[in-house]
Amino acid sequence: MDLELSSEDIEFRDGLREVFLREIPEEIRRRNALSRITREDIVTTQRILNSHGLAVPHWPVEWGGKDWTPTQSHIYASELQRGSVPQPLAFNVSMIGPIIAEFGTEEQKRTFLPATANLDIWWSQGFSEPEAGSDLASLRTTARREGDVYVLNGQKTWTTLGQYGDWMFVLARTDPDAPRKQQGLSFLLLDMTTPGIERRPITLVDGSAEVNEFFFDNVRIPVENLVGEENKGWSYAKFLLGNERNGIAQIGTSQRVFADLAEAAGGIPTETGALADDPQFRASMHRSRTTLLALEATQLRVTGASENGQASPVSSLLKMEGTKALQELSKLRKEAASQDSMLLDTEAVVADEASAVAAAQYLNQRKLSIFGGSNEIQRGVIAKTILGL
Amino acid sequence: MNLEFNEDQALLFETVDSAVGRGYAAGGRAEATGSELGWNEGVWRTLAEMGITGLTITGEHGGADAGPVEVYATLEALGKHAAAEPLLDGVFLPSWLITAVGTDEQAKQLLPALAEGTQTVAVAHAEPGRPWNATPSVTATRRADGSVTLAGVKAPVRHADQASSLLVTASDSDGTTGVYVVEAGAEGITRADGRSADWSRASQVTFVDTPATPLGTAGADVAAALAAAFARARVAVLAEAVGLMESALTLTVEYLKNRKQFGVPLSTFQALVHRAADLYAHVELARSMALWATATVEAADGGADVDLAAIADDAFVFVGDTATAVAEEAVQLHGGIGMTYEAEVAHQAARLTAITESFGGVAAARRRAVASESALRAPSALLNNSGAVTA
Repeated sequence: MDLELSSEDIEFRDGLREVFLREIPEEIRRRNALSRITREDIVTTQRILNSHGLAVPHWPVEWGGKDWTPTQSHIYASELQRGSVPQPLAFNVSMIGPIIAEFGTEEQKRTFLPATANLDIWWSQGFSEPEAGSDLASLRTTARREGDVYVLNGQKTWTTLGQYGDWMFVLARTDPDAPRKQQGLSFLLLDMTTPGIERRPITLVDGSAEVNEFFFDNVRIPVENLVGEENKGWSYAKFLLGNERNGIAQIGTSQRVFADLAEAAGGIPTETGALADDPQFRASMHRSRTTLLALEATQLRVTGASENGQASPVSSLLKMEGTKALQELSKLRKEAASQDSMLLDTEAVVADEASAVAAAQYLNQRKLSIFGGSNEIQRGVIAKTILGL
Repeated sequence: MNLEFNEDQALLFETVDSAVGRGYAAGGRAEATGSELGWNEGVWRTLAEMGITGLTITGEHGGADAGPVEVYATLEALGKHAAAEPLLDGVFLPSWLITAVGTDEQAKQLLPALAEGTQTVAVAHAEPGRPWNATPSVTATRRADGSVTLAGVKAPVRHADQASSLLVTASDSDGTTGVYVVEAGAEGITRADGRSADWSRASQVTFVDTPATPLGTAGADVAAALAAAFARARVAVLAEAVGLMESALTLTVEYLKNRKQFGVPLSTFQALVHRAADLYAHVELARSMALWATATVEAADGGADVDLAAIADDAFVFVGDTATAVAEEAVQLHGGIGMTYEAEVAHQAARLTAITESFGGVAAARRRAVASESALRAPSALLNNSGAVTA
């Protein structure tokens, strides 16, 4: 066994840090830690990363991929999170990019991939519907073929950052008579300037407006914007699930949140001294700390296994336990801030910015165990695929 | 960066697994711990022939001079079968103490028999009603003729009934903690034999003017060496816990598939299936933690600058908490049958429970960890990957 990065990996990591910590403006990284990044922050960051060849490293090499080792991919995801660098937009780099690269036409690749990598096109995800959440295959939005176009009717929801979307990848039903609900779905690319689209923002419990509903009324999509084959959309959507598992546990983010909280606790007063000396706080932090060590060790085992060409079935475990760990830390941060997190949307001078947003962040982070396959879905996957239950 | 067994280590695991598995059919722990010896004599002989009893002993004294990963592989295989052989308590731990503290003469005298598997040594450190890290209340008195005698009580002492000698911690007249070698048949020793909660043998041992020999140089402070040996033992026992948890999970999953109530298998109830999935997640995290701690001990042996005691406490607390959760859930999901002495899962739960109270126990380790400066240190599993955690 060996608990050290090789000198090549250290060099690789330091090269990444050079870009992440020097090229990405500190203001952007700070706003990201406070959940206050803007559209421009995300665009600026991704373009800087792209200019260094670091926006789409896991794409095919001919479209800007890096062909990294699993260890290098792990270091990349980890360093982005530890440095509080806004992640390249997942809808672009982890979802539609790999789909088009794998299943798209040459024309689609040329049209979309470079612009997607550089965030010249902002993609939105059109998957979930009011009656199709965890049970995605039950979706009802239809795309009826009429000559050279598909006519889209229906509704999508939970569209994260859809207010900025230039294009949307949509999973819609093209064959309503297919024998199984997973059949008869197609993967379509929709220009959001097309007539017949209505957007309604959804305000979340923390006050953020990061998700949206979309309504489609006879929206016409040219047939050349079909990805792959008609009625094979489900297999492309499933391809996403097996794609890019690095960083799924957000261990690097948790490590950063832990370090920030440990430092802040020295300056947060309690009735008897500083929070950093409070036994109950220390016990909670110790629990967090050991959990993060176990998670990182698990991630290292997974990475090591894929270096040896073995697939690991534990991504459900990492997603579930990793997000729980980050949620737990956000709760500790809120408890540390206490009433200082209870005055929002004001110009008032607050104790410190991280405390001021702590309760809102805590509420927002509840999403982690719901999106991307809720923890209940992950337990089902573990039970079925690993335990055979 | 790698937390996997190498080929030899994987082979070692398979070999021990199959050797122990042959001697421990289902329910084997009850039979072994119920025997006169307290473990399975055939399995022990096989392990000795394979050189496993000499793993932690240098070649000079007839051992294999293996490292922490080999110890991990061996003890995980033992745990997988809930085996009762006292490799850690009766051989590995004493060998670490003898190697660290003993004179060359003592090493020559004590280690070869341990390596051969012909003798075991009991480590007598715990005292009734006193915390693990307290200065021993057992006293060592030096006579005018230079001989030393011990007085006081040690309990529990695991496998004292079969040990050929004991390593007893005691305080001398200066209050310095030392380790003393006592022959099992020495005068002034009385033993009240019983069992631990895991059905392995344990005793209370009382010393009245019992002749003893200091391990190592008389009067030397061995507190640091003791602490290091116990830290090593806390990490080592986690491998056994991982093996036990893995098997308890496997049995529980089988039970959910096979047991029918209301006319259907228990596995049709999502509430139960999800609890099994959580068990799996907890066991895998615990395995990662135990492997990581083992790799850290290996790095320390290779000269890396790591705080072994703190890392052992971190890992012991995390895996120990998981052991408790797995023991409780495995019994609960088995229902009434999981409570019975006949049930294999009951023995796994009992052994896991005993592990959580070994070497001072999880609660004390947690108190040390929470009070130490490391509690608020940003976690990094890789030794050379800190820094740049910043917003």
